[in-house]
Amino acid sequence: MSEAVVEVRDFRKRYGDAVAVDGIGFEVRSGEIFALLGPNGSGKTSTLESLEGIRKPDGGSLRIGGMDPSRQPRRLRNFIGVQLQTSALPASMTVDEAMLFFCAYHGKTPREDLIERLGLDEKRRVQYGKLSVGQQRRLALAIAIAHEPRVLFLDEPTAGLDVQSRADLHVLMAELRAKGTTIILATHDMAEADKLADRAAILLQGKIAAIGSPRQLTAAGDRRTRISVSSERGLLLESGADFPDALAQGPSEDYAVYLSENPGKSVAAILAWLEEAGDPLVDLRVERPSLEERFLEITTAPSAQGDDK
Amino acid sequence: MTAFLHHLAYDFKTGIRDRSKLLMFYLFPLVFFFLVGGLMSSVNPNFGQTMIPAMVLFAFMCSALLNLPSLLVNAREAGVFRSYRINGVPAASVLAIPVISAAAHMAVAAVVISLAGARFYGAAAPANVALFALAALLSYAAYAGIGVLIGVASGNNTVTILISQLIYIPSIILGGLMVPSAMLPGGLARLSLLLPATHCMKVLVGLGMPGAAPTPWLSMGVLAVSAALSFGLAALLFEWDSRASAPSPKAWFALLAVLPYAVAALIGR
Repeated sequence: MSEAVVEVRDFRKRYGDAVAVDGIGFEVRSGEIFALLGPNGSGKTSTLESLEGIRKPDGGSLRIGGMDPSRQPRRLRNFIGVQLQTSALPASMTVDEAMLFFCAYHGKTPREDLIERLGLDEKRRVQYGKLSVGQQRRLALAIAIAHEPRVLFLDEPTAGLDVQSRADLHVLMAELRAKGTTIILATHDMAEADKLADRAAILLQGKIAAIGSPRQLTAAGDRRTRISVSSERGLLLESGADFPDALAQGPSEDYAVYLSENPGKSVAAILAWLEEAGDPLVDLRVERPSLEERFLEITTAPSAQGDDK
Repeated sequence: MTAFLHHLAYDFKTGIRDRSKLLMFYLFPLVFFFLVGGLMSSVNPNFGQTMIPAMVLFAFMCSALLNLPSLLVNAREAGVFRSYRINGVPAASVLAIPVISAAAHMAVAAVVISLAGARFYGAAAPANVALFALAALLSYAAYAGIGVLIGVASGNNTVTILISQLIYIPSIILGGLMVPSAMLPGGLARLSLLLPATHCMKVLVGLGMPGAAPTPWLSMGVLAVSAALSFGLAALLFEWDSRASAPSPKAWFALLAVLPYAVAALIGR
């Protein structure tokens, strides 16, 4: 197992009387993509910004590559790369100037290849204020990774990106991980976390409600598989037929939906029933519980709502 | 050092590229100079004696009071400072570079005003260019310090404009730019010592212009202390993050920058 490059122990952060983060702890290993998930106000950005050295913790300890972000911010700058959720560049700064400017402060030569790689080649002389939101996000990402940081923080990196740019970014993140870059990702996009993250922590009201790989997280929740069936004559929708280990969930558009703890047995029984009824199958979908469903299960549980004031 | 120079070069270029900077560095002060220069020369023949220092100072005020504070507030509130911070741009560069690059633009504007004033309006040219340049540098430093301090202490652009205008408008009226301070009635003359413009005019005229005026030691001291105090307070009060949602009570310490002028108003003549 690789070394822990990010260590968080009993971390606390408050703003006045409001507790943003309440004693959380986790480790992120070198070369890992670690997702921080949670609803708005759950403490994701406070955790990220404290790790980045932007905010000072009120308790506990934070270490990145052995460095304390609040005490050694200058040493940390070349070790980490950051794409903030809310930040900007000067409106009159061109793409080329931005790359030159920030690489100079990191003591690196400008990474022309990244400008091309992130689809900004034709925008080199365009000022930041005239770029689209997606282009601004891509430029921020190019600057964040231009000095080849060991740890990369991405706060909602795909917000404002179109479908193609999102897909490109996911490929880039996978490439960075393959090169050994550790990525800490805060996102509302559960599909993104499910697809990319090696591990994820779900934050709720400043505490870690669940942590593990996306598979572990989903397995810890409702383990039933969703079976959706559509047939030509739609007999299943009207029949109310029961099948082994399958609980009918009622229709969803043209589909009869079941939850099953034994999907193989349930699917076989459903198909046999349709065959016998002479109702040809149109579509069959067998879906495992997603990270998004697990997330909603955790964040909407009565215990999660109980402390709301 | 390379990064600092890249930053400075970029910021200098924006003085031409950015419309608001271009307006405040060149267009507004130069158009004002050509209009007021012509008008005042015909109304008041003695205006030619102080036209160049007055118009140079006017340009400094446009740059340092009207442009610099808004520039800093807008950048901070938009999150530009956050981007700087996470990429290792030092706070000293964030504060110093706009001042230095604007100073370079002001040097250009001052040369244009000096040459054109003498050529087109027959205004008195500086008798000692080196001392005039030193006086201009001191004047610019005092105003830039105040501008930076306003930008750092203000929570938003509305407050910035209000505070800037609170200094700018009285400076134009009472600061000796249009009417020499010596012609002001006693009470107003003392009140005018609270304004940086009054001391700047004393220093610019006293050091650089023809005539045997006594060396304005008090005003030189006031401007030097004001510049040091303002930049020092700005460095202490500087914050990277938006202040819109969290006003800082520390910002009131910025009022300490008035001290050298208050002392001058008490002891000066």
